[in-house]
Amino acid sequence: MGVHVFGKSIKHNSLVRIGLAKAIFGIGYQTAERICAKVGIYPQMRMNQLSEPQIMDLNKEISDLLVEGHLKQKINNDIRMKRDIGSYSGFRHAQGLPVRGQGTRNNAATAGKLNKLERFRV
Amino acid sequence: MRPALTVLKRSVWKGPHVVPLPIAEAIKNGTPIRTNARSCTILPQFVGLKFQIHNGKEYVEVEVTDNMVGSKLGEFAATRKKFMYKYTKN
Repeated sequence: MGVHVFGKSIKHNSLVRIGLAKAIFGIGYQTAERICAKVGIYPQMRMNQLSEPQIMDLNKEISDLLVEGHLKQKINNDIRMKRDIGSYSGFRHAQGLPVRGQGTRNNAATAGKLNKLERFRV
Repeated sequence: MRPALTVLKRSVWKGPHVVPLPIAEAIKNGTPIRTNARSCTILPQFVGLKFQIHNGKEYVEVEVTDNMVGSKLGEFAATRKKFMYKYTKN
């Protein structure tokens, strides 16, 4: 059973702050704690203890932030902008190599996975 | 809230790292500015000017646009060649 917050199903017995941080792209533990404090949810509260108005409040708070698809679009646009102005980090993104001066003799596998012109498919 | 990382990069009292460049002359004549100062920050005043930035070997011609403001001149003159595999002849 899941509780639906911001269009995401979150496990019913997880802590609210941790469930939010795990489910929603763009919200980490820090932001989740801050949102919970603002809405008035005590830290040990679990997902299935939330009442309907509290879920509505959470949804409202989250929709003010830059999360999920909009955030992914922004990241893509930033990379695209760097490529378009011809900067070094833009070139490195396009080649799938490390951007911040790391070596490439071995390793650099994470860069190969992440550094693309379109990092997220939105 | 914490300040953004761009704010934390350098203390404010120092201001951006800028090197004296013949900007007034460049605006008047439209001549490119030839420089070796790759670490110079691009200011809003530089937009529209032409720069010749040293990459260690030769001077790369770059025209500054709006989005480049805040980054360094050296970012736009690559110092490395892209690796190309060359087939041996025999």
